[in-house]
Amino acid sequence: MATNDSLIQVTDLRKHYHMGAIKALDGVTVDINRGDVMVVIGPSGSGKSTFLRSLNLLEEPTGGAIVFDGADITKKKYKDASGKTVKLDIDRLRQKMGMVFQHFNLFPHKTILENMTLAPIKVKGMSQEAAREKALQLLDRVGLKDRADAYPIQLSGGQKQRVAIVRALAMEPEVMLFDEPTSALDPEMVGEVLDVMKELAKEGMTMVVVTHEMGFAREVGNRVLFMADGMLLEQGTPKDIFENPQSPRLQDFLAKVL
Amino acid sequence: MGQFIQLDNFSKIAPYAQLFKQGMLVTVLLSLFTVVIGFCIALVLALMRMSNVRPFRSLGLDENGHLREGGFLSLVSRFNPLSFLATAYVEVLRSTPVLVQIFIIYYGVFSLIKLPSFQMFGFIKFDRFFPGVVALGMNSGAYLCEIIRAGIQSIDGGQTEAARSLGLSQTQNLRYIILPQALKNILPAIANEFVVIIKESAITYTIGVQDIMSAVNAVKGATFVIVEPLLVATAVYFCLCFPTSKIIAYFERRMSHGDKR
Repeated sequence: MATNDSLIQVTDLRKHYHMGAIKALDGVTVDINRGDVMVVIGPSGSGKSTFLRSLNLLEEPTGGAIVFDGADITKKKYKDASGKTVKLDIDRLRQKMGMVFQHFNLFPHKTILENMTLAPIKVKGMSQEAAREKALQLLDRVGLKDRADAYPIQLSGGQKQRVAIVRALAMEPEVMLFDEPTSALDPEMVGEVLDVMKELAKEGMTMVVVTHEMGFAREVGNRVLFMADGMLLEQGTPKDIFENPQSPRLQDFLAKVL
Repeated sequence: MGQFIQLDNFSKIAPYAQLFKQGMLVTVLLSLFTVVIGFCIALVLALMRMSNVRPFRSLGLDENGHLREGGFLSLVSRFNPLSFLATAYVEVLRSTPVLVQIFIIYYGVFSLIKLPSFQMFGFIKFDRFFPGVVALGMNSGAYLCEIIRAGIQSIDGGQTEAARSLGLSQTQNLRYIILPQALKNILPAIANEFVVIIKESAITYTIGVQDIMSAVNAVKGATFVIVEPLLVATAVYFCLCFPTSKIIAYFERRMSHGDKR
């Protein structure tokens, strides 16, 4: 159901490999509303990451629809409001979706500041000065302003991930996608990254988070999706999912991770 | 006679030292130009091979606009003519002798194109030197292409994903993220190719380029001494290649130290 608040409508999303022999995604339907903090949980290989990566087309779905900003982005060409056929501008679309990866993916040959200003300058056409100011402001928010001229290799994992988050924020996205943002971190660094994400959620940022941090899902998420075998088995509020799981798969999963 | 090396033969060829000096200069210049031309050719080839130009792309979509999952049309839709041409070029040049390639360029191509016949630095015949550079450059371009391609492919896919998810286009990703990292990684390999070309360039004396080998030939003709000029040539080649490769190895070690920590 597309409500006024709906930002992304995913319908029957499929991703098949080898002529359908492998079904990474097998018919996922979900609405993402503005301000949602949607946490996706599930066993490994359940299609959580594929689902997330399909949202900004890092994976190309083989079926179904993802409607974002009024257009089905799974189609290379679509009809716009005036009925004209236009080509999908994937780069423009991705500017509106920030993405944070498990392995940070900072650019090692650029300083922290350059990491953050590259896209605003080259893609959005911001002036060097404005981009710099904005980047420093964001770095200050995550307590890394003094590391602006360092290279990624000089940062700890937690610091790298915090930079990766604000690097995505520098593009002022409408939604932030997190692909297991704390899975590659040493345990003592998980907290600092989750704190940044909590802060972001509080400010009303729309977030889709794939994670194994059940504490985060319970505390920060307003909706939790449980995926298994490429399908969306159960969804609801954290309370529904964690305290009153319906399907045996979810009960089994929770018994193992909690 | 009867001895392999005769010391007085060295004194016989000593008056021709100037020829060897000029030969060395030609060899170094030839190799430098070759590696530059080769690199430019290789970069274009590598980008062609990895390009995503698919004129029949639309055949890969079904009536709903989704990607087909397989079959003949899906195969045709993935055909990339640029990549095909570049691959063909690389395979042909790597599978034929460089001597044949040089002859084809010199006797074939440059018999149709008239080159101005002037002398660089007062002694290098341009109409011999230039075809030599072109032929060697085309050849080493094929080899360097594979080096550049490997360098680009060695960059973690996450870099491209991060760049694209920030909204950078494919070209911007290549220019600002991938190539700077890849080129730094393959710099030692390119320098090594330079050493290889110094040695390979000996073959260009067959089309009259006045390199070190042609100096050997000239001295042989004038003095009827063969082995000693060859030994001088050996020493010159060694003095060019050995220190160069050692210097490269030194920088290679230093650079890898900076990366892994």
